[in-house]
Amino acid sequence: MLDLVGAGRVHTCNGLTRRDFIKVGTLGPVGLNLAQLLEAKEQGAVKASGDDKSCIMIFNLGAPSQLDTFDLKPDAPAEVRGPFQPIQTVRPEIQISEIFPRHARIADKFSLVRSCHHRGAAVHDSGWQLLQTGRVFRGGVESPHVGSVVSYLRGRRSDLPPFVILPETMGRGGGNIPNGQAGGFLGKAHDPFALMADPSQPKFKVPDLLPPPEIGTARLDRRRRMRDIVDSAVKDFEASEDARLLDENFHTAFRMMTSREARDAFDLSLEKDKVRERYGMTRFGQCCLLARRLIEAGVRFVTINTFLTVFDEITWDIHGSKPFTSIEGMKNIVAPVYDRAYSALIEDLDQRGLLDTTLVCNLAEFGRTPKVNPAGGRDHWPQCFTCYFAGGGIQGGRVIGESDPIGAVPADRPVEPPNLLATVYRSLGFEFETHLSGPSGRPFPLVDLGYPEIHELF
Amino acid sequence: MNSFRRLSGIGISATLQSSLWHRASFPAVAMLFAILTTGAIPLAGLHAEQEQFPAGPRSFRKDVLPIVAKAGCNSGVCHGALSGKGGFKLSLRGYDPASDYMVIARQSGGRRLELSDPGRSLFLAKPSGGIPHKGGLRFEVDSLEYRIIAEWIAQGALPPAEGDPRVERIEVLPKRVSLDVGQSQQVHVRAHYTSGDSRDVTRWAKFDSTDNSVATISDDGELTVTGHGEGAVTAWYTSKIAMGRVVVAYPNEIDQATRDEFQVRNFIDQHVLEQLERLNLPPSRPADDATFLRRAFLNTTGTLPSAEEVRNFLTDSSNDKRDRVIDSLLSRAEFVDYWTHKWSDVLLIDGKRLPQPAVQAYYQWLHRQVERNTPWDELVYDVIVARGSSLESGATNFYTIHADAESMTENVCQAFLGLSIGCAKCHNHPLEKWTNDQYYAMASHFARVRAKGWAGNPTGGDGLRTLFVTSGGELIQPLSGSPQPATPLDGEPLDSSFQGDRRVPLAQWLTSSQNTLFSRAIANRIWQNFLGIGLVEPVDDLRTSNPASNEELLAAIANYLVEHDFDLKALMRAILRSSTYSLSSRVIPGNEKENRYFSHYYPRRLSAEVLLDAVSQATNVPSRFTRVRLRGADFKDTDFYPEGTRAVQLYDAAVVSYFLKTFGRNPRNVTCECERSNVPSMVQVLHIANGTTIREKLADDRSITRRLLTENLPAYGKIEEIYLATLSRYPTDKELQQLLPYVAGVEGQQHQESLEDLVWSVLSSREFLFNH
Repeated sequence: MLDLVGAGRVHTCNGLTRRDFIKVGTLGPVGLNLAQLLEAKEQGAVKASGDDKSCIMIFNLGAPSQLDTFDLKPDAPAEVRGPFQPIQTVRPEIQISEIFPRHARIADKFSLVRSCHHRGAAVHDSGWQLLQTGRVFRGGVESPHVGSVVSYLRGRRSDLPPFVILPETMGRGGGNIPNGQAGGFLGKAHDPFALMADPSQPKFKVPDLLPPPEIGTARLDRRRRMRDIVDSAVKDFEASEDARLLDENFHTAFRMMTSREARDAFDLSLEKDKVRERYGMTRFGQCCLLARRLIEAGVRFVTINTFLTVFDEITWDIHGSKPFTSIEGMKNIVAPVYDRAYSALIEDLDQRGLLDTTLVCNLAEFGRTPKVNPAGGRDHWPQCFTCYFAGGGIQGGRVIGESDPIGAVPADRPVEPPNLLATVYRSLGFEFETHLSGPSGRPFPLVDLGYPEIHELF
Repeated sequence: MNSFRRLSGIGISATLQSSLWHRASFPAVAMLFAILTTGAIPLAGLHAEQEQFPAGPRSFRKDVLPIVAKAGCNSGVCHGALSGKGGFKLSLRGYDPASDYMVIARQSGGRRLELSDPGRSLFLAKPSGGIPHKGGLRFEVDSLEYRIIAEWIAQGALPPAEGDPRVERIEVLPKRVSLDVGQSQQVHVRAHYTSGDSRDVTRWAKFDSTDNSVATISDDGELTVTGHGEGAVTAWYTSKIAMGRVVVAYPNEIDQATRDEFQVRNFIDQHVLEQLERLNLPPSRPADDATFLRRAFLNTTGTLPSAEEVRNFLTDSSNDKRDRVIDSLLSRAEFVDYWTHKWSDVLLIDGKRLPQPAVQAYYQWLHRQVERNTPWDELVYDVIVARGSSLESGATNFYTIHADAESMTENVCQAFLGLSIGCAKCHNHPLEKWTNDQYYAMASHFARVRAKGWAGNPTGGDGLRTLFVTSGGELIQPLSGSPQPATPLDGEPLDSSFQGDRRVPLAQWLTSSQNTLFSRAIANRIWQNFLGIGLVEPVDDLRTSNPASNEELLAAIANYLVEHDFDLKALMRAILRSSTYSLSSRVIPGNEKENRYFSHYYPRRLSAEVLLDAVSQATNVPSRFTRVRLRGADFKDTDFYPEGTRAVQLYDAAVVSYFLKTFGRNPRNVTCECERSNVPSMVQVLHIANGTTIREKLADDRSITRRLLTENLPAYGKIEEIYLATLSRYPTDKELQQLLPYVAGVEGQQHQESLEDLVWSVLSSREFLFNH
């Protein structure tokens, strides 16, 4: 049963009795009771290894073309190489696309993995599941997002929730299946806190974080006490996971509402204009800046969705035909915003001494077809794509793996989604022996066996 | 054998790696590897095999292809990939035997087969490790697989023939088995052929468990029970699927009084009770009158009962008061609004796709149907065969949204049959029985639908589009280069001499009383609305491999609908009147953990629209809807919705509302119930606690707090009023006692604030936010 909490992570020497364990272990098939786990943590029962480590996951929704971004093939036939020229980076041996001039200047900070591929279907949804949970959902088992796992195993580090998604959870894709941005079998208590707002808007604030001005401390306290009276009368809800979750959410919400630290973390007006502009006054730019503030304030894991859906935005999804994006749309709109924000984030984290403890990983659900299609775009291609990493103990300036001459398949050092997630877990200081409790208590390893981290990155 | 192992060392390690890669999505391959390396023979032993595979002619279709499929050779990650692997390309999971035969026997100068010495055939030597194979070792030289393929080659490698026996159906044995946690059971699969004979094909079937929390199944068909409940295992063999059930009773001791309290009122209760007894689950107690009333109002009309209605109901002492309130709810105007809203999700009525005039015509058409209680089969029939102006014949807008024949096919299947057949557009469905041929045969029904007028840009134009049917035109199936004769999924092909609108026979097949998919799909949606979860979940995923939690019950309510000519209200009435529906949501010892078999009512957060309406109704302050989102990031103001419009009355999901978005309304981007979310999130809690929605309502002059402020009522009377308006019940003595000190004895501003704080407290309580 101890396995369910994480091998070697729980000790009985700090006042936690065997009886407590039994309670923890039998508290329902799906997930641990959060309060109990937190209690266990407050009693020092859960080891705090890697507790200073954080992660910002930039999820490139829509899936960038490897051939037009980080894995150019200037010698390939015209229908493969596409319109963009490679440019030199600060690392002589690394060239990337001309659409990312700012990336080129910090190429010593990040390392590219050019041989990513997966065996899921070439639809956005299954790629989202694979890249964020390491698994495709089957048999009714929904695997948790890596941020939810961090939330489950480590809990809060401050008054802020452990796992935040900016600016909001991604919308549905074409496949009508879950998108992997949730707690899955760990329970909804480990779903991310989704901001649900655009931090580049002039009057941005976290929606509803503060009580209305007319509600002072005394009234807020009275409300809370009256609510307890009303809410406690009902015994019908104890068996409902959703109802328990709502209750937990209320307690977390009150903690955030009453914490200055938490409120300030979300307050972008505390940043100098120069800093805000350096990230770019765009949704993605300000999300990157906000992510840095949240990490500073104790959030463990931030996922930034570069887009909300692939349907009604200009995104990386360059099919060329409407309603999707053209290759020019990517160059003129998507790339400049992305290039500016990412480079600002890395430089800012570096200057503040946060880069060593903060992993920044840039993932996408797949790559794009080597051949340009008749509409002048490229379609879905899980067989080969590029992801990249910076900070969190990763050595920058490297290229891991390579693709074949047309960027169609890995030619060397193939890497699959669980390897990418194993790299995230390793950077965050997790032990791979840790098991999660799945449906009916079935143990799930953090990543499936046989997928080591990409050791050349460290 | 040992020398072979050495020879194929590279092959084995490659298999290891490839198996591990597969584990996330293709555990079957990993399991196969386990069998191969441990040498465990999965079936009943060689004796039985020899009996089933006596010497005789080996058929490519019947004997060889199933081996290729089970070994994973024609899977999507190996030679079944679109571009094949290593220059060798097979059809995905063997859906095209003729082409597979050509590739194996004729391509590359025929070097894959060596008729005079089968062992030297690449087709045998590679998978068995004789020659290095990137895909690793698939079967051993001394295996049955090897022997059968070798014999087929030796006998001349005969091609598949038209007259080959085909698999007509397969069955899983045992069909239903009762086991305890930890126990195992070997499952067998039997294939029945068109030639009339049958044989055990367990060894080459692929297995899956539909609910791993009840049972798991290994690649060789050994089922292991992991938890309590009813599970199912599916077996897949040559595009046929069959299912076996496993029943794992809960270890409860149930006293007679608990059993007796559950009264069987109708056939629904009978089926629920049978399952509860099978699983040894105790039913909860019946819900009290106030809970029943609130529940029935919310589920039937999406509204709360008024304080007066609660009072009257609670004081009414007649025996049939519940049945009378059910009848009353089914005939209210709010019923029509609520169900129009429900079906608008299914029909994807949305201003991001259609200009306002078309949205209105579409919505108003639907509203009229619900108002008339048009039978569901007629309503769907009208959608399928709609023609004419999009502004006069609102149902034609279903076509406007799904403009081509393929898209129509997929969305008709999704919306009305709960089937997702999109995969079959490019290849045979990898998990279901639908083939690419069937997909295009189905789509051929829509091949002659045309439209003129407004071209489909939702941000501009008048939305006037006229739908008509031409007498010519075919839809070409890309893989074959020719059209498929129009055939409904599991139906008979249309007579080649048929000259009329092909959609008519399709609509007849679709809505026929014989089409159990159709009646099951709508019955499941109705059930889910009232009981919180569907008998099948997700509610619109009725594929064969996703069985109902209570198949007999789903069959019964579907049949009930058919018997009542698809009068949805008849089924609603039967559900509302059942004891099952009126069980308490309070669990009792023994049924705390179950959440599929309806031993108690499952509390659910109110859906976005219903919750906003409940807040408006309880506070007596309506919400306003003044902005509409267009495609992309554009918005425009609208005065279309007068004050007092309820959220369930909105025509579409393009109406801007932070509340509705935050609480998970269905954005109507694709035909899928999965777009709606009732999960309570932090952002929702913050909005309830601090957001403008409740704050503005409390500050409004019309609000319940302002009214109570001036009313000549004692403090406890005011608390009572608030409870009746929000929670639809009287406060308990204990609640009154605890709340009175906050409300009594305060004057003026303080009095107002205390009433506001009380309303806030009630509105943010789970009892208000949930239907329970």
